Amino acid sequence: MPKKEVAELNTTADYIRAYKNKAVLSSLPNNVKKLRVAILASSTINGLKEVLSIKSRDFGIDADVYVGEYNQYTREILDDKSELYTHKSDVIFLFIDTRAIKDSFFLNKKEDSWVNEKFAEIKSLIEKLEEKTSATIIIHNFERLTNSPLGILANKEKNSFTEMVGELNRKLVKETMDNRRVFIFDYDNFLAKVGKEKAFDPKFYYLADIKLNLELLPELAEAYIKYLIPIAGLTKKCLVLDLDGILWGGIIGEDGLSGIKLGPTPEGRPFWELQQYILALREQGVILAINSKNNLADVQSVFKKHPYCLLKDEHFAALEINWNDKIANMKKLAADLNIGLDSFVFLDDDKTNRMIVREALPEVLTLEMPDDPALYLRTLSNLPFFNKLKITEEDRKRGDQYREEKKRTEFKSVATNMDEYLKGLDIKVEIKKADKFTIPRIAQLISKTNQFNTTTKRYSETEVAKMANSKDYLIISIKAEDRFGDSGITGVAIIKMGSINWHIDSYLLSCRILGKEIETTFLWYILEEAKKVKVTDVTADFIKTAKNVVSAPFFKKSGFELLNSSDVKETWKFDLKKKFTKPAFIKIVKA
Amino acid sequence: MTLKEITAKVLGMDANKINGKTSRESTSEWDSFNHLLLVSEIEKEFDIKLKMDEVNTIKTFADLEKILRTHGK
Repeated sequence: MPKKEVAELNTTADYIRAYKNKAVLSSLPNNVKKLRVAILASSTINGLKEVLSIKSRDFGIDADVYVGEYNQYTREILDDKSELYTHKSDVIFLFIDTRAIKDSFFLNKKEDSWVNEKFAEIKSLIEKLEEKTSATIIIHNFERLTNSPLGILANKEKNSFTEMVGELNRKLVKETMDNRRVFIFDYDNFLAKVGKEKAFDPKFYYLADIKLNLELLPELAEAYIKYLIPIAGLTKKCLVLDLDGILWGGIIGEDGLSGIKLGPTPEGRPFWELQQYILALREQGVILAINSKNNLADVQSVFKKHPYCLLKDEHFAALEINWNDKIANMKKLAADLNIGLDSFVFLDDDKTNRMIVREALPEVLTLEMPDDPALYLRTLSNLPFFNKLKITEEDRKRGDQYREEKKRTEFKSVATNMDEYLKGLDIKVEIKKADKFTIPRIAQLISKTNQFNTTTKRYSETEVAKMANSKDYLIISIKAEDRFGDSGITGVAIIKMGSINWHIDSYLLSCRILGKEIETTFLWYILEEAKKVKVTDVTADFIKTAKNVVSAPFFKKSGFELLNSSDVKETWKFDLKKKFTKPAFIKIVKA
Repeated sequence: MTLKEITAKVLGMDANKINGKTSRESTSEWDSFNHLLLVSEIEKEFDIKLKMDEVNTIKTFADLEKILRTHGK
């Protein structure tokens, strides 16, 4: 996370000033991800462009923001030639306000058809956006107003506007539940969080149709950033935890098993609930690890014997519990888990530790923790970095997969040589063409695989689906399992198919499965398929990035010849008359 | 922050150049949006709420100072 040239910004005016100050903009770090963001709104949202642009930088995103004209969203969406479509957005927010969709919301006449009409209207706008763009589309739901003349009967009377809006919201959620591109932003809940009366100042509404107070634009921007993070591929993978003062109150080494605070007591509940939250994160794919100065035996006794310790040894993919310094431990965790330090979020209650880690390892996101443990859960749940656009089957299995990997490592340490180890693993792979079941996972791998990735081309799920349906492209994925468990889909190849040449556009594998020649087997499969259709050669590019050095020798090692090369790009070729041997110990299962 | 500092920030001006006579009419940056932003920033900083009428009657920096005084600030 780039630090922190805009950290002193507090109010909306600060952000707008920073935006207008070109020096600030140009001084920002250049390793940020670029995203094109469009916002269409029914009311005045002046200032949001500036606030979102500046605030995004804090999260590693360079957002090029387009704001549609005031209340022109319908025209802009329906008009093929509108500025919206020339902007070529990656993300489109549609912010239609409750007060804009009904002329009068106090008279509760019988209006059975209103919800259906509004729903159909919004649905057709969504469909048009889906058809005309490849953007991720985010639709605000509608505020349930708090000033119904029905008072306490607002949810008793059939034609209560409050209830109609509630129904419209539910219909929107239901409609888009399985839609991978369209998301409903729960704006009503956002307003509940900040406070509906605080969010809406009648005088600004009457004077200028401002329905969200200007001072709350930074909060709205932050809510938007929760979507931008996964779209930009900036989702963090691993939560690294300190123990004393984070997972329980007190110090295990001094207070002992019965002295630490954890469980359904006033002092223990904040820690107990934090553990519940962390466990839930793990179930949706966040990897857990420990970096703590402690005696391992003390900690094991908490895991094994404390009646309210929900997090156990088996939930952690890696543990560094020792008296080494936190920085060395952090590096060891990154090496053991084979993920970058920039995928880590670190939770530590000790200010000095946080400072040391932040100083030495700025790529780790060291969370600023409040002094009061009662606020820990809020701090963690407000963190936008674990947001994903979907939770795949692989995400749900991830925690177990790391446990299996630990067993693999133990097995490796008793095997006498590499061949024996690989044979003993009993590896089976399944290679198949992309279909609607595998495309979400394929898109996820494309967006986040950095190391073994020969070209690092990022395609959205929509683009992947388009290629998968095209005659010109072959997209295949590989799924691997061995005697210790199932790794799920962990590799993807995209091939552009010509009549005499196939070109490998993308070739990537999760680092977890490297070193077992699964990558070679996958390539063998592609070459075999190419031979079947009488192609004469297969070519592939290697495009160098800061992170993919591990995949650099791959084509050479596999017998490809270098056609040409520059500083950033090499092109390799394999003549299909040549022999290519498949690793003998890997079984290929037909899907 | 002082009233002058807030005004300078919102209008992107040097605080030293702001005086009682600085007006909406003579200051191009003091457009209708910045006017509302200015009110919003003042309300937040001084923990007060201006009336709709007051927002409309402010034409100069001196007006702002006067209104702040009527709110006891």
